[in-house]
Parts: sequence; C-alpha cells; structure tokens
Amino acid sequence: MMPVLQLVMDGLMDGGAYALIGLGLSLTFGQLRRLNLAYGATAMLASYLGAAIYATQRVPVWLVAVTVIAAATLIGWYVEWMCFARSGQEPDHGGASAIGAPIAGADGREVVALASSFAIWMQLEQLAVNLLPRHLNAFPSLAAQQDWLIDSGFGELMVRTDRLLLALLAAALILGLGAWLERSRTGLSWRASADHRVAAHLVGMPVARLQTAAFAAGCALSGLAAFAVLSLDGQVTPMFGMWVLLKGLVAAMLGGLGSVRGVLWGGLLLGVIEAFAQALLGAQGREFATYALLFLILVVPWKPRESLVLSAGLRG
Amino acid sequence: MRLSGPLIWAQTIMLEISDLATSYGKIEALRGVTLSARSGTVTCLLGPNGAGKSTLMLTLAGILKPLRGSVKFEGEELVGCEPAKIVERGMALVPENRLVFPGLTVRENLLAGAYRRRDMAGIRSDIDAMFGRFPRLKERVEQLAGTLSGGEQQMLAVARALMSRPRLLLMDEPSVGLAPLVVAEIFSIIEQLHREGVSLFVVEQNAHMALKVAQHFYLMEQGRVSFSGSPGELADDTVIQRAYLGQQRAEPRLPA
Repeated sequence: MMPVLQLVMDGLMDGGAYALIGLGLSLTFGQLRRLNLAYGATAMLASYLGAAIYATQRVPVWLVAVTVIAAATLIGWYVEWMCFARSGQEPDHGGASAIGAPIAGADGREVVALASSFAIWMQLEQLAVNLLPRHLNAFPSLAAQQDWLIDSGFGELMVRTDRLLLALLAAALILGLGAWLERSRTGLSWRASADHRVAAHLVGMPVARLQTAAFAAGCALSGLAAFAVLSLDGQVTPMFGMWVLLKGLVAAMLGGLGSVRGVLWGGLLLGVIEAFAQALLGAQGREFATYALLFLILVVPWKPRESLVLSAGLRG
Repeated sequence: MRLSGPLIWAQTIMLEISDLATSYGKIEALRGVTLSARSGTVTCLLGPNGAGKSTLMLTLAGILKPLRGSVKFEGEELVGCEPAKIVERGMALVPENRLVFPGLTVRENLLAGAYRRRDMAGIRSDIDAMFGRFPRLKERVEQLAGTLSGGEQQMLAVARALMSRPRLLLMDEPSVGLAPLVVAEIFSIIEQLHREGVSLFVVEQNAHMALKVAQHFYLMEQGRVSFSGSPGELADDTVIQRAYLGQQRAEPRLPA
C-alpha cells in the first residue's frame, strides 16, 4: 500500500511540472490552431541566457527569473513573426473559400507554419549551444531539499517541499487562468477569436492583437515553467528543449490541446504513469512510458477521438 | 408604431456606396458598385450566385479591403476603417452562413456581439431583450451555438449583430438553407426590426419573400449593379422576372 501511495505522490509532483510546461503550448495551440514546434527551443534558449548571466554576472536569482521569462517572451515574439503571423488565416489573403471555414483545416499555410517552426527550433537550439557549449551548465538552484514526512497511518510518506510547491503553483496558475478565460471579457475575446476569426472581426475584436497577446502569454509561461523546473535541478543541458516539447506536448494532448484546465489533468496523469513505469521498469521505463503514451493517444481509435487529443477550441 | 418618422428623415441617405471595387487576387468580384440605402427603409440586393453580393457585404463590414471606391455611412467614410470601427459607428453584419461562434454558448455569443460596448447594465438588459425577441434562444442559453439548428443559429446571428445596437443592419442571405417556416420567421423579424426603426440592407436570393418587406431593390450581376427600383418596378421588369423570380422555382440552388 505504502509504495503505491508514494508513487502516486511522486507522480503528482512531477505531473505539476509537466502541466506547467504544457500550459503555454496548449494555450498557443488553442488560439492559433497551429503547433509551435519551436516551443521547447524557445524555453531552452531563454534558460541558457538566464544561465549565462547567472554564471558571468552573478546576478540575484530573481533577476535570472525575470530574464528567462522576458527572453522567452521576446524569442516567442520572433517565432510568431517568423512562423505564424504571416501564415494567419486573414481573409483578405485567403479569398472567399477561407471565410466559410470555422477553423482552417490542414491547408498549405498550416504546413508552412509547422515546417518553419521546426527550422526555428533548430536555429534557436544551435544558438543556445553556441552560447554555452558545455553539456552541463549551472542554473540558480532554489531546491530546498527539505523532505516533509507525513504519517499517513499506513506508514511514512515522503514529500519534497520544493516539488510540492511547484505542483501547487502550477495547479493554482492553471485553474486561475482557466477561470479567467471562462469569465472575463478578454478571456471571452481570446476564446471567440480562436473559435471563428471572421466572426470575431465582425463583432469588432482586434483579432491580430489578441493572437499576438495569446502567443506572447504562452511563451512567457514557457519561460516561467522553464525557470521553475530548472531551479529545482540546478542545471541545464542541451536536452532541455526537446524535453520541454515532448513532456509539454504529451501533457497537453492528454488533456486535449487547447484546453487550459485539461493540461493540468494531462500533466498529472503523465506524471503518475511515469512514476509507475519507473518503479516497474527502471529509469528507461520512464521515457518508454512517455513515448508509449504518445503512441497510444495517436493510434488507439478512441471514441471521441477529436475531443481526446484536440479541444474544440481554446477552453478555460 | 408604423413608419411614424417624418418623411424627410425617411428620405435621408444612410449608406452611400460609390464605384466600389474589390478583388480576390486576380478575380475582380466587385467592378465599381454604386448604390445607396435610405434610413428607416429595407433595401434589398438581389442577384445570382457569384454576382459579388457577399463580397460587397464583407467589404462593407471591413473584412475585405476594396481596391478603390468609397463607402459613406451617415456621411463618414468607412473605407480603410477596421471592422471594429465600423461596428462602433453603428453598422453590423449578419454574415452569410451565420458564422456564430460554434464553441461558445448562446449567452457568450451575445456577449461577444456587445464586445465594443462597455455599459454592462445596458448589455445585460439587451440580452434580456434578445431573449424576449427570440424565446427559443432563451431555452438554449447555456447550449453551445454549434449545436443549434440552422434557424436558431440564424436567430443567434441576428441577435449577436443587434447586441452592438446598430442603426443599419446588414444581412447576407438570411434565409438560405432554412425550412420555409423558419424563412417566414426570419422575414417577420426583418419586418419587426423595420417597424422599430432599424434600417436594413439585405442580400437575398428569395425574391418572393424580399418583395414583401423591402422598399427598394437593386440587382447585381457580375460585380455591377444592373437594376435599381421600387418593388413595383421590379415586379414589372420582365428581365428580372424571367431571370430571378421564375428561375428561383425551376432550379434549386446548389449548396455553396
């Protein structure tokens, strides 16, 4: 009984981090209906910049956090400009056929956006590696390494307080953002413009501005997530970009891409499954579980297939 | 109240379009359209498929940018204005195929329609007024708009446009694809809005229904206006009768 409970607990802690990572990806996908493959690389380059100023300038930790978040937002703005802004479904370029479609399907521009975001991924990752060529780079560590022992009645349960804090922060942020999307006027305009761009124009919403704002928010969140996760490890490696994209994508897909609250459940589920896989199959099993889960999502013919992987639009 | 406004007010030109041209890439959909709509009246634009009617409506709403020409609404130029500005000036479009927000609830669709307004109390009372006008929407208030029937979506699209409190309502083929009973309902809504003093500019294929509500007609063919006249003149014009009133029954429209 006890080891199972401990595994669930560990899984939930890790899941909180996955959810935080997937949040920005899900938000931008919900708004643009396009997958940003440069998402992980954006977080990685921003983290490398943070690590670089930490190593050379010895700046305080909070300034590293601000740098990572600001850099992620700026790099994200560059990614949007390069990959997504010009691939938008603005009807004045699309002609009559684009107008009737509620959400543009897989058209040429979507493929161009995907391919160019892959190119930018490579570019950003290379930039980061050139900036700090070593495999291991120090990152300001906030890890408390304080264990909190709970006597559950079945035995002692060990919880790392810093990880618990991260998971709680993720949950609070996601639930708060979800509620804001569902209730506020701006939240409504984000969902409406994701739902139908032409209709959003017709009711007077500044669609292009809303899109940029959602993209920037998603990238800022990737910076926040990267800082939070890395500050627990105290180091950053060139694998970080790939790791962010993969874990974030699986978490976001499990919860339905585009659903904000879904990414929390998706992240937690991924964390728990990974914890069990690691206990049963060892460290390799952990990675195997991630890929197996991704494979299962895509291959098994779920009944409400669309609603499982893709949310119908941007949802709170 | 039945058309109680003074005659001069009824004669005022509200919307004046001159030499408007819009193209999709190399295809010139509008080739210099000139027409006007008077306030307090229902103006109807007829024309076959592909004549450029929907292009005209999207250009008026600011979604498409014209190559040349001018659109004056209550004397102010609208060409070059963002759609948001046009909605704020008091002109709203009920687009072809309704284009409701499918993933938002009925209430959220109405709230979105009032996006440019800031008077929360007014918005709330207008939503209640819409539910009075369209009782079926009230029954579906928390339902997603994408799950509504075609007629209900059309009513929602009209209600959403009305939420911006327009003085001129543009409607693009409000009856297309709807059952005859629902079409009659839509036209009774048009009549009711007209009685309440809203000016309407309606694109319609259903000339029989349009003849009952509109005071002025235009006919558009191949991107140009080819006829302008009163309902009587339209009914007398044998060319139009043969081409549009007769054909309407003989040949069902293919879905777009």
